[in-house]
Amino acid sequence: MDGKSDVLQGTLDLMVLKTLESMGPLHGYGIARRIEQVSNDTLNLNQGTIYPALLRLQQRGWVTTEWGISENNRRAKYYSLSRLGKKQIEKETESWQRIAATMARFLATPR
Amino acid sequence: MDWLRTCWSRCVAFFGVRRLDEELDEELLEHLDLATDENLRRGMSPQDARRAALLKFGGVAQIKEDYRLQRGLPLVDELVQDVRFATRQIVRAPGFAIIAILTLGLGIGANTAVFTLTHALLLQTLPVRDPGELVRLAIDLSAVDKNGHDAPLNLPIIEAIEKQSHSVHDVFAWCVYDFPFRDGGLNSGIHGAIVSGNAFDSLGIQPAAGRLLTPADDQKGGGSDGLAAVVSYRIWVSRYHGDASVVGRHVIVTDHPVTIVGVAPEGFEGVIAAEHPDIYLPLEFQGILYGEPSKHTGARLWLDTFARLNPGVSRRQAAAEMSALFPKILDATLPPAIRHMPQIEKARFAVRPARTGWSKLRSTYTEPLLLLQLMVGAVLLICCANLSGLFLARASARRQEFAIRGALGAGRLRLIRQLFVECLMLALPGALLGVGLAWVSGPWILHMLGNVEAEEAISMRPNLTVLCVTIACAVLCALLFGMAPAWTASNTSVETALRSSNPRASVGSAGLRNFFVPFQVALSLTLVVVAALLGTTVTRLLTKQSGYRTENVIFALTDFLRIPQKDKALVSLYRRMAEQIEQRPGVEQASVSAISPFLGWRWSDEFAAVDNPKHAVPVEAMENIITAHYFSALGVPILAGRDLENSDSDRNSCILSQAAARLYFPHTSALGKTLRNVIHRPGTHDTFHDYQIVGIAADTKYDSLRETPPPIVYLPLTAGENEQTNGGSNLFIVIHARSVAIANSAYLKTLHEMAPSSPEIPPVVFSESIRDSVARERLLSVLSGFFALLGLLLSGIGIYALLAWNVTRRTTEIGVRMALGATRLKVFALVMRQVAGLLAIGVLAGGFAAFFAAHSIRSFLFEVQPGNPWVFVLSGLALVLVGLVAATLPAGRAVSIDPMQALRTE
Repeated sequence: MDGKSDVLQGTLDLMVLKTLESMGPLHGYGIARRIEQVSNDTLNLNQGTIYPALLRLQQRGWVTTEWGISENNRRAKYYSLSRLGKKQIEKETESWQRIAATMARFLATPR
Repeated sequence: MDWLRTCWSRCVAFFGVRRLDEELDEELLEHLDLATDENLRRGMSPQDARRAALLKFGGVAQIKEDYRLQRGLPLVDELVQDVRFATRQIVRAPGFAIIAILTLGLGIGANTAVFTLTHALLLQTLPVRDPGELVRLAIDLSAVDKNGHDAPLNLPIIEAIEKQSHSVHDVFAWCVYDFPFRDGGLNSGIHGAIVSGNAFDSLGIQPAAGRLLTPADDQKGGGSDGLAAVVSYRIWVSRYHGDASVVGRHVIVTDHPVTIVGVAPEGFEGVIAAEHPDIYLPLEFQGILYGEPSKHTGARLWLDTFARLNPGVSRRQAAAEMSALFPKILDATLPPAIRHMPQIEKARFAVRPARTGWSKLRSTYTEPLLLLQLMVGAVLLICCANLSGLFLARASARRQEFAIRGALGAGRLRLIRQLFVECLMLALPGALLGVGLAWVSGPWILHMLGNVEAEEAISMRPNLTVLCVTIACAVLCALLFGMAPAWTASNTSVETALRSSNPRASVGSAGLRNFFVPFQVALSLTLVVVAALLGTTVTRLLTKQSGYRTENVIFALTDFLRIPQKDKALVSLYRRMAEQIEQRPGVEQASVSAISPFLGWRWSDEFAAVDNPKHAVPVEAMENIITAHYFSALGVPILAGRDLENSDSDRNSCILSQAAARLYFPHTSALGKTLRNVIHRPGTHDTFHDYQIVGIAADTKYDSLRETPPPIVYLPLTAGENEQTNGGSNLFIVIHARSVAIANSAYLKTLHEMAPSSPEIPPVVFSESIRDSVARERLLSVLSGFFALLGLLLSGIGIYALLAWNVTRRTTEIGVRMALGATRLKVFALVMRQVAGLLAIGVLAGGFAAFFAAHSIRSFLFEVQPGNPWVFVLSGLALVLVGLVAATLPAGRAVSIDPMQALRTE
């Protein structure tokens, strides 16, 4: 449990979007695994929580879904990034970078 | 935008729940399979792989729950659940539901009925373009006479305003009229209005057929279609069956050919509220009927005037501008005799809002209607208190159910919401029933207004506004009576409730229930006191001597403006008509009078006692102009001297009422003395006419049943100005006969013989006009009485329900007491003691509230003191009686409890 941090709702959304941007269409399990990998397992994330997040993104029109065939030759739901989602990524990335820069300035002040 | 998309997606998902759930299951299973496969590849055993996958996943049920909350409309789901549950509750206990719905139906129905009337009379905006812009222009006489109504204007004034004002435009005139009407074989009267040519343009309405009047129709001799008229939608449907051929039809109005050019839109009733004009003619018609001078005269104030505010101008600004223009306009248009009358000198210009039209009825009925709304609101509160008590009882029996729900995870808000839905499920059918009751009772309430035209013009059909208000009422009720039980229900501590062996025993709710009964009793007492005071007022008004005989007397209004007889010939015509009517079989007396008492017309003048130097200053008295037999026709005794005679020898005689005699000749007999009528003319000195007093008549009321008999001077009918009599050409023929029918036919026969060309106006029965003069009080009295009874009934039900509940709750206790030796009487006393306590508190609190209420309705009362002790005592007794009767049944049940049965029941 130490060293792992809880994931905020908004950040999970951004992580999913970025994953879809770099990996292309993926099913839910794939997204979850990829997020775990990228974060080097430092995130305290139950894989199941990805699904409500994916639903949210779907409702807002940032991802689209399609039923396809998974690696196991069974039906799986694939999520892909939409045009609106791409725009959302840009917006949120910019916002995060601004916050990070501001925080960096504060944290870098000499004692 | 995201929010909108989310909403849409949620709504769509709401309807495909089953399919979406299957898909979700499939997706999650697939996720777990993939995870398990990966774990297997890593080398775990199949069970470990599965277990690890599940652990990594998190709680499947939890995830599914979160997903569902995100996906659909959880609120709607919960609402559907609540509605289903509430329906089951209702079906299981139909008796309770029926009582609740009936109670609410009565309470809400009463509210709806009164509000419909209030809305129709006070609030409904005119169905015209931009009603907010409309204003009414009038002369405000209230500086001189506090109760004075506004005076209308005339054509010269209107034209001056149109020219000089910068704050209003599209000024138009309106005058209500009754016309004789002939169409083919049909010969009757028709109620209508003459309006300016630009009236319909200014109002901005569209015809239902044909066209509306335009300024081109308001010219001399009429417009291109001759004299044009527009008929109402109502008459188009009823008389002409909605046939488009009515456009272009030729009819005869007051002996003049008129062409119907169009039909007014549906629902349009002109600008005077509660009037229902069926035909609209241009102002020019006045000139055709009575000569051009009468249309353009500045000597008469007869045109109701409306206008539109210029854009950006407020009513106050318009009023300010009008006040500045006022004196000059009046100087230029009114003849000096009128211009310098004291009322006109001190008058101001009024610019009143006209979005709801204008009506005299409004000023009479605003306060009574507000009072009725308050009373009906009180009835509704009593209903809610009743239901709240009943609900509390039921809620306390369901404590275990609420405890279990709480244990399963229902939040406090969720429980409250569920109870609220249950209340709403009763309130809405109650509201529906209420609307139905209001619809049915509407026409009857309208009849009580005592105004025939209002009855036909006001539609008591609940319209959209009223329905919305009713539903809001119902929701408010549900909130009110559901709040208390909901609060106590959600307050239950889970543990104590689940552990308690007796689910019916409740502690907290008893306190609240003990509040409702005194509350209801207090409100009921207030209602009863108010109703009793109002009822006494009406009785006193109607039974107090007015001074007149009221049975079998009619007043027939004549319109002799256009007949050939003028001046002395007109005077002689009136006299001969009265004499001829008197000759007819069945007629006792007939006379002529300038005013009809209690119709609201006042005629006053200044007189001075010539022989009494102390009273040389002219003093105002009421006046009437009469011929012989006036007093005997109305049953007014002549106390001294004699009646007037129908001959010129009496043209300088007059008769005083007792009060007038006392006023002008306080220490001597007035008989034989001279009374001077002082006539003010500005510019010249006053003229006067001396009369010799030949008789003194008993006091009578003049104008209203509420007043003390004023001093009245009766002058003889003689020739006057403008070729008319000194009382004008619209005098009343007063007839006392053996029956009203005989009087009516005698009048009509004589009218046809002696003045066949004058319009036939239906006579008014005197007793009815007296009754109508207190229509307002009658309406108040009857309705308040009804509401008071309703309040009593509901309070009785409330007391009964409370006691029945208590007895049921305490069955075990009572059984134990009886087993231990308590007599039946002691048990009875035990039960009644509780009621007595609550009744006492309620009556006491109610007494204070009633006292306060009685004082605030002081202005409606007549010869009844608001603090009249008899009224309070009797009302209090009535309530105590109702309470005791209501309590007897449950008390009787308590007394007949079998101890052994009670001890065995839990």
